[in-house]
Amino acid sequence: MSESHAGEGQVRVFAEYDRDFHEEADVVVVGSGPCGAVVAKGLTDAGQRVVLLEEGPPFTPGEFELDGGLSMARTLREGGLRATRGTVLSTMQAIGLGGGSLVNSAICVRAPDWVLDRWCAQFELERTTRADLDPHYEAVGKFLGIAPTPENVLGQRNLLFKQGCESLGYASEPIWRNVRGCRGTGECFTGCRTRAKQSVDINYIPAAVRGGARVLTSLRAERVLVSQRRAHGVEGRVVAPFSGAPSHRFRVDAKAVVLAAGCMATPVLLKKSGDLANRSRQVGENLQFHPGVAVMGVFPERVDPQFGATQGYQSLHFLRQGFKLETLWAPPAVLAVRMPGSGLVLKERLADIPYSAIWDGITTCNNSLGSVRPRRRGLDPVLTWRLHPSDLPFVANALWTLAEIFFAAGARKILPGVHGIPPVLHSLREAEILRTQRFKASQLVMGGNHAFCTTRMHGDPRRGVVDELGKCHDLDNLYIADTGVFPQCPTVNPMWTGMALAHRTAHALAGRL
Amino acid sequence: MVIVWLLLGCAAAYGLTRVALGYPRPSERYEHLNRAEAALVEGAAVAMFPPGGAIPESGLDADLPGYLDRLLAASHPRQRRQLHMLFFLIEHATLCFPAPGRGGLRRFSSLSHDQRVDVLQDWATSNLFFRRLCFTSLRALLTLGYFAHPPVTRRLGVAPPAVETPVCEADLLYPPIGAGPEAIAFTADDLTEPSDGTPILPGAPRHRRYAEDLS
Repeated sequence: MSESHAGEGQVRVFAEYDRDFHEEADVVVVGSGPCGAVVAKGLTDAGQRVVLLEEGPPFTPGEFELDGGLSMARTLREGGLRATRGTVLSTMQAIGLGGGSLVNSAICVRAPDWVLDRWCAQFELERTTRADLDPHYEAVGKFLGIAPTPENVLGQRNLLFKQGCESLGYASEPIWRNVRGCRGTGECFTGCRTRAKQSVDINYIPAAVRGGARVLTSLRAERVLVSQRRAHGVEGRVVAPFSGAPSHRFRVDAKAVVLAAGCMATPVLLKKSGDLANRSRQVGENLQFHPGVAVMGVFPERVDPQFGATQGYQSLHFLRQGFKLETLWAPPAVLAVRMPGSGLVLKERLADIPYSAIWDGITTCNNSLGSVRPRRRGLDPVLTWRLHPSDLPFVANALWTLAEIFFAAGARKILPGVHGIPPVLHSLREAEILRTQRFKASQLVMGGNHAFCTTRMHGDPRRGVVDELGKCHDLDNLYIADTGVFPQCPTVNPMWTGMALAHRTAHALAGRL
Repeated sequence: MVIVWLLLGCAAAYGLTRVALGYPRPSERYEHLNRAEAALVEGAAVAMFPPGGAIPESGLDADLPGYLDRLLAASHPRQRRQLHMLFFLIEHATLCFPAPGRGGLRRFSSLSHDQRVDVLQDWATSNLFFRRLCFTSLRALLTLGYFAHPPVTRRLGVAPPAVETPVCEADLLYPPIGAGPEAIAFTADDLTEPSDGTPILPGAPRHRRYAEDLS
């Protein structure tokens, strides 16, 4: 291997790699999503030499594809077609500098106190209470400008949800988001052209670069290098954007390694590295999602759902009953996919879109567990997951409550998207079927874009992969900083909690180095 | 014995013809869609989005075969293989489970329009989850393509608006995908004020790709 070093503060891209190469750093961070970016900046601020690796390319605004299908093919792993085996649940993982923050809707919610208390009690944790994490939430929140969605960009779709909740006496609120100057274009999922969404590729990563971090994109980490109880770097291949075609080899030697590749990729990397950090046998286990369902409602007046914050309003009213409700918008093509029927009937339903709103529920399914396994070839995971029958009522209740809110807000019909019941329900009375019928998982169209727990933290090294600070129990200097370390699902959108934990990990690691 | 082999040969030739031969040459040249797939997509496009109705544009007006060819090109090789398998399955399933009516034991693309509609409806409402999943996947692909057709999104009022993109610090760091750092178009002098949060409202001008007058 020839030596070639990127200069301090450089970002390197695919076109710049023309040979095998080798880098050195104090810390190598694998994965540039929200958690990896926080770690990279935190360590850079602490004076460490950091190399941040990302498999995807950086996206510039000109490259945000407005068409939903092509956008997914370009920004998501497996073209956005990833799904679990067992109970089929579509799920996504971004590939690009900034990771999920590039194509998520910027929702930031702190995990409730009672969830953190439960984590501490059940998983033998001592320093993961609200009081412990609040300084980290604050630090991230301040840097990203996390704040409630302003009223003037809510748009009718969000306001109708508020109205429906108010008429039923359900608590609701504007969603806190990492956004500055949102104009309500509803394009969070395909990349924010107004640069209002504070995805980490436009804040944490430039800040880390300013502090001297090197950001190497289009590099796929394939193996963590370990000797005895110490990780001493990672190695892998240069991969072409989109096709993933491998070419040159690279190696980064470092005093510490932080894996922030996401809860579906980090376990695969550990397994492919010789089943690393797995004396507990928990690597790749305990996979949890927040299975989500969505209902579309059609109103008598025009809603113009495209306008307004992508996800601007939520209800935490039913959090303890196992679900959270939110407004939603996505590329119209993606939403239209769930419209029932075909032919002229389908066209009529599509023509309702300007009069429609779509709202979703994400559910807490702590009994529904799965696993992440490596494929024989490549680094994409095999995901297996089953919705436990005891968790099904949460999903059904979310559907029913969404129906209630729609009709309370004045909807003239709803499309619940459930197989085996009428595709269109015209009144709350008709919607009673959502409450009275016992559904099977196969009747529901579910998505699960929040995933957790595959390298969970646990106070007992025999039952968890990392400790509270993200350090692997089995190794002295291998850390994990992504939602895989959650011991259980957080019941709310995970990004802010993941970043807060990553912030704590960065500080702990900087102290040890 | 020779007769048996002859009969087997004839049967094999007949089977091959039913499965893989006799497709018309597609009107366009596609990079990834083969003749059979182009025929399937054309047939399904019209069954799913016939001309007329609430949105006049048909699936063929929206050039769904062309869209799916572009989508295949943009897909990762494994996903491309999965999509080819999906097309093969739907195109040939009617050779095992015939469409209703006379001549239903034919490939999907060889069926009449009404039979295709019936077949798709069968897949959509099947009690077998796998069949519904296949249908949903095909419909998803076709719907994505249908909405990629600017007249459709314009008619529904969901065409993306024209927005100004501020130049921020990150734009000084990242070149366009595939290019080197020399292709970074901005310098510190080009930095602009960030978004001021002025809402974009219905009626705002549309993105140029979706605007009425494309000249």
